[in-house]
Amino acid sequence: MSLLSVRNLVIDYAGTRALDGADLEVAHGEKVGLVGESGSGKSTLGSAVGRLLPRPARRGGGEVLVAGEPVFDLPPAGVRRLRRRHLGFVFQDPIGSLDPTMRVGAQLRLVLGRGADVNVHLERVRLDDPRVARAYPHQLSGGMAQRVAVAMAMATSPELLVADEPTAALDSQVREEVLNVVFALAADAGTSLLWLSHDLPAVARRCDRVAVMYGGRVVEHGPAREVLGKPAHPYTAALAGSAPAAAAHGARLEPVPGRPPVLTGPSPGCAFAPRCALAADRCHHERPDPVRVRDQEVLCHRAGEVTA
Amino acid sequence: MRLLMWWSGRALSSAATLLGVSVLIFAAVRLMPGGFAETVLGPFATAEQKAELATRYGLDQPVFMQYGHWLGTVAGGDFGISMISRQPVGAELLARLPVTAELSLLAVAVSVLAGVPLGVLTAVRARPGGGGAAGRLLSGLGVSVPEFVLGSLVVFVFSRYALGLEVGAWVPLTQDPARNLATMVLPAAVLSVFAVSVTARTTRDAVMGVLVEPYVTAAVGRGESPWFIVRHHILRNAAAPVVTLLGTITAYLLGGALIVEHVFNLPGVGSYIVQAVGRRDYAVVQAGVLLAAGVFIVMNVVIDLLVGVLDPRLGVTAGRRS
Repeated sequence: MSLLSVRNLVIDYAGTRALDGADLEVAHGEKVGLVGESGSGKSTLGSAVGRLLPRPARRGGGEVLVAGEPVFDLPPAGVRRLRRRHLGFVFQDPIGSLDPTMRVGAQLRLVLGRGADVNVHLERVRLDDPRVARAYPHQLSGGMAQRVAVAMAMATSPELLVADEPTAALDSQVREEVLNVVFALAADAGTSLLWLSHDLPAVARRCDRVAVMYGGRVVEHGPAREVLGKPAHPYTAALAGSAPAAAAHGARLEPVPGRPPVLTGPSPGCAFAPRCALAADRCHHERPDPVRVRDQEVLCHRAGEVTA
Repeated sequence: MRLLMWWSGRALSSAATLLGVSVLIFAAVRLMPGGFAETVLGPFATAEQKAELATRYGLDQPVFMQYGHWLGTVAGGDFGISMISRQPVGAELLARLPVTAELSLLAVAVSVLAGVPLGVLTAVRARPGGGGAAGRLLSGLGVSVPEFVLGSLVVFVFSRYALGLEVGAWVPLTQDPARNLATMVLPAAVLSVFAVSVTARTTRDAVMGVLVEPYVTAAVGRGESPWFIVRHHILRNAAAPVVTLLGTITAYLLGGALIVEHVFNLPGVGSYIVQAVGRRDYAVVQAGVLLAAGVFIVMNVVIDLLVGVLDPRLGVTAGRRS
């Protein structure tokens, strides 16, 4: 049984459809990268895992199972127990995700319990300076603050850590350090990782599997190297082609043509059809069902015809 | 060093503010139509009588001379003599301060005990489209009903019908604490209507602002219960605007709740000033307004220090680090 299983999840925000029937599986101990353009529904999917969606969000259908429990059908106390036992979250804004009025040590103690040794947990995220525990969040750098946030999320050794672009606000060198810490701690604790990212090469390097989102659905899902190396969905192919690292030196970067869709209801066909070079008539009218291409699950009528 | 700079800066700006207030109030009482002599001697006094009185109180000297003289004595801690009661103004104000202080304390205590929980509760329970309108209407009403309307209504109702609470028969706290409290409840309640409404509303807005902060989402994600999050993450972060408001309300009331003290016939600082204005008792009005300004200045320093303790980013020594 999967640790996390999202089935046909539909989420609406006051007239805008953020998730349009998303499916995702994460097994125990697996590192899964969730990639896609801004607005593709990554963050909504990540938040939905812990039912952390902002107030106006409504679930229009589908379900989220964490360790077999239906997240959206649990009473409030049940959801809290599930979050405490199974889940951890790290967010984009490192300093913002720490309480500005509490010293770092006090915040960690609040999570760990009174007698806990805060410094042990700070050393695990390679913050050896004892002054960190006495500092307020605004006195830390973004990278330090994010490592504190990681220490807090990992303090209870969750089974699944959802990291929503944890390095988006950091500069490139600090990025690697923070990711190293996240992946090392997850490996030590046997924690599964759902990593939301824009950084395709890093995802290819660090993750076992990758799920590609477009228009509120996971359009391709499979082993990281396969999906990004031999895409079976035209969108993945376009995304992989637009990543700077994928291009040969001096070659022109090929941006994905057109704009991502803003859905107000279920997409009548494939949401990518208007931007797709391979789109046929049925792509506009018929929602694609998952098909298997090599090791990938793909939502595309013309999967398999794609040559990267 | 930074702290020293801060304190000396505050002392300087406070002194400048007080000086400005002293000029304004000194000029204002003298610009009121109908001077002291006219008010005291009545409309049929002769010019000689008026001149004689003016000479006795030094009102015939040029205004800037009067001001200089007054400023000199005030700087020495002497607020002069009331021209009506012939008593030292400082001593009279001091004698009336406990009444005003008790009234302010009661009203502020009610605001904290009722307004803050009300604001927190309505913010945490807020659902899109539900309940907010009724609360806004109620607090809007509480903020906008004038004190003299509410005060007069309460005085009328409680003096017309025997409802167990006396109106207008103030008893000193030292004489009979229970009866003193019974006479203070109504005026404090009238003051509280405004204070509670505005406190509840400010608290609600502050808490709603904190609820959408990422660190609250992070705490929810850790599986913390709503009341744990309120206690550990929300109260302190939402406190700054509420503390600022409560401090301002306290300072405002300590300077004399003019209307309510007058309507309920309480011998506090406020009614003293109102009477003095009516009788053109210059020294008393000047001292009263200066006292109110001083209370405001001190309270603002207290607020700044408190807010700095509550939120280290806003501390007086925090400097300009982003």
